[in-house]
Amino acid sequence: MSRKTALLLLPGLAFLAIGFLVPAVAMLVAPPGAETAAVFTRFGEMLVDPYELRIIGRTVALGLIVTALCVGLGFPIAYLLARSTSRWGGVLLALAIFPLLLSNVVRTFGWLVLLGANGAIGKLLTSTGLADEAPQLLYTPLAIVLGLTQLFLPLAIISCYSAVAQIDPGLDDAARGLGAGRTRTFWTVVVPLALPGIVVAATLVFAGSVTAYTTPYLLGGSGQRMLATQLFSYASVSVGWAAASATALIMTILVFLISGLSSLAGRKGATT
Amino acid sequence: MTIAAEFVGVTQRFGDFTAVDGIDLEIPEGKLTTLLGPSGCGKTTSLRMLAGYSLPTAGTIKIHGVDSTTLPPEKRGLGMVFQSYALFPHMTVAQNVAYGLKIRKVGQKEIAARVSETLDLVGLGHLSASKPKKLSGGQQQRVALARAIAIRPRLLLLDEPLSNLDARLRVQMRAEIRRIQSETGLTVVLVTHDQDEALEMSDLMVLMKSGRIMQSGSPREVFANPANRFVADFLGYENFFTDKTGIFRTVRPEHLTLGAGDGERLDATVVSTAYRGVDLLVTLEAVDGAGQTVRLVADVRNGAAVEPGTRTTVTADAAHLVTLAAKE
Amino acid sequence: MRRPVAATLAVLGYLIMIVPILFVVATAFSAGRTLRFPPEGFSLQWFEAAVTYDPFMESLVSSLYLAIGATALALLLGVPATIAIHRGKIPGRGLVEGLFLSPLIVPELVVGLALYQQLMIGFGLDNLTTLLLGHTALLLPYAVRVTGASLALADPAVEEAARGLGASPVRAFLTVTLPLLRPGIFSAALLGLVTSFNNVPLSLLLQDREFRTLPVTMLDYVQQSYNPRIAAMATIILAATVVIAVIAERTVGFAKIFGGINR
Repeated sequence: MSRKTALLLLPGLAFLAIGFLVPAVAMLVAPPGAETAAVFTRFGEMLVDPYELRIIGRTVALGLIVTALCVGLGFPIAYLLARSTSRWGGVLLALAIFPLLLSNVVRTFGWLVLLGANGAIGKLLTSTGLADEAPQLLYTPLAIVLGLTQLFLPLAIISCYSAVAQIDPGLDDAARGLGAGRTRTFWTVVVPLALPGIVVAATLVFAGSVTAYTTPYLLGGSGQRMLATQLFSYASVSVGWAAASATALIMTILVFLISGLSSLAGRKGATT
Repeated sequence: MTIAAEFVGVTQRFGDFTAVDGIDLEIPEGKLTTLLGPSGCGKTTSLRMLAGYSLPTAGTIKIHGVDSTTLPPEKRGLGMVFQSYALFPHMTVAQNVAYGLKIRKVGQKEIAARVSETLDLVGLGHLSASKPKKLSGGQQQRVALARAIAIRPRLLLLDEPLSNLDARLRVQMRAEIRRIQSETGLTVVLVTHDQDEALEMSDLMVLMKSGRIMQSGSPREVFANPANRFVADFLGYENFFTDKTGIFRTVRPEHLTLGAGDGERLDATVVSTAYRGVDLLVTLEAVDGAGQTVRLVADVRNGAAVEPGTRTTVTADAAHLVTLAAKE
Repeated sequence: MRRPVAATLAVLGYLIMIVPILFVVATAFSAGRTLRFPPEGFSLQWFEAAVTYDPFMESLVSSLYLAIGATALALLLGVPATIAIHRGKIPGRGLVEGLFLSPLIVPELVVGLALYQQLMIGFGLDNLTTLLLGHTALLLPYAVRVTGASLALADPAVEEAARGLGASPVRAFLTVTLPLLRPGIFSAALLGLVTSFNNVPLSLLLQDREFRTLPVTMLDYVQQSYNPRIAAMATIILAATVVIAVIAERTVGFAKIFGGINR
């Protein structure tokens, strides 16, 4: 490595070390005012504590539901957009991508207006006589699922879109010509070829869902704690650094696990 | 003659653009028909309408006498080979060929037998377990052909099947497709912009321009008697002139000779020459019977060199002189 | 409709993405005192209430400062690093690039906790410095990856050609390579500004009374008071984001910006 290259690289690396790498490692081995092994001891305790397990379970379960919803809704959107020849295709694609630029707080806030006690959905249900009184929608798992789905659907759409856009539409024609109807063509040609994109979409959505803070905070309240909100309460009301760090460790392991699984799937897909 | 498929007054418009303009055409059973013309002439659009990928704006498409105009492609039972081949990249060669058979719920054993039989027919039996990516262009082309044939299609449609191959392979595949066609007795419709390909392969040759059929007939008929200037031009006639009696005529460069002979004579001046080994292309200028200056090209074999500026008489060979109906 | 199932799912997806945003906007124009639907009457009073509310305005300025500072720093550190990664001969290049991208794979809340615990509590660093450090680390992957994508497209031979024509290395870089990188730098800057400005998880634990970011201030506000002032503030952010999206689409194109990060 030449001196010039080193000079270009080192300031960035130094910053990365101070602003990210060193604190992240130190958090695990040396939380302030605690012993070195405290985090790992606490981590071990959490894995057998029913209360913590419920939070981990809720986080993973909601993450899986949101992932299924985002892929289930996002893939059809990506497919229709990628195959669309109409002018509206571009507008709808922009509309799907735009929310990625918009603050999560702004996006999630809308559900308060929709699901809250005086919200639109409650009103709709009572005024149409479908319910006698507005049901409790806010601060339920359903609210969190809706909020997270809204948040991560755009991510699922662009991942799937770039995968579908790479598939030659001539393959659809070829399958049709050989006797496959639209549905069969979709499942035997489009979906298998778009699978890498679907795996990427699922990974991003799951990793995002199990680490999201704003949505469970605003829509889940204290009754529906997820790992992120739990981490925050440990850190801010200082039950102890070890608990916060251990929760952070669980969250990180979840994300690494899903990333590892997906790259494993990707490697397997590439060789067959 | 049995008719395999028929276009009746078929028109296709995309917005303001008329891609196919009211064509009538009968595709004979068991023969190879080519749709020939420059890009944008409507040949591929016609083929796609026949296959069911595109709905005509007006007119009727019949397959074996049955109105099939709005039938979706999967219900037509036709085999199509795409210009891009459109092989399924996630399936092996054998799986590609078996795809249409599985949909037809053919039994496992029967599928295996027909796949290997079809792959043998195109000479690819040894590659059945490969993925399309691993094959050469020519091999991919054969897989596409096998996949289309395996379903025993009522018609085999080929959209510029040879245009992505190199020149030598292309010539080889012409004969190959002809052989497969005669062995299977399939009715084939082939779209091409290459007149040599059409002349060599067709039973029936259909020349198209701007969405209309300019001329159709056997290659011999069409080649010897182009109906109009466009067809003549497309088939390599280069010398167009009005003769002394006011009739518009044409002759191919190899039938225009320097010097006086038996046929239509013109006084011309040599403009340039190009030596090409086996022959010499001589470009000349002459004033024709209508008083127009026309450019002529003579393809001279075994002739002496001529200098630009030389004045000479040229003769259009009487036996090969073609009278054109219209100047267009 | 030729694909009824797909179309139904697509409509449902768009409803989930868009309808909540529309409700925020509708509520912002309410004349009533609480967040309810349908809004009671039409007025702009809550917009006035939002822009005259000091905590919002002060934190808005803080957020902008932070976003601009962190983006500038990330580009200043990230662009040279990108050039070194792509053009320099470094051993273990994949590893170095991976290091620069690593902040992307660790949950932001976790990074926030680490910085809070180690730098603010453990090291006594003030919260503004810590925020700036954290946001810069968060944006470094964007700077490296998005500009890297432009650099990968540029032919290294053009710089050699400039040298052959007599340009010094510095001049060749400034007149040839840098202009080629401009769309990438622009995309990275835009993405960086938006990412930093909108961030909650990383900033969450790093707040104090003196320096707070807008999204965190808004989250706190919802907890205390339940009125359309917050909807008005959200609508203002929405409007600004639309402007940024239009600029992005007109200059480099949405697809390019997100194509760079979403590989």
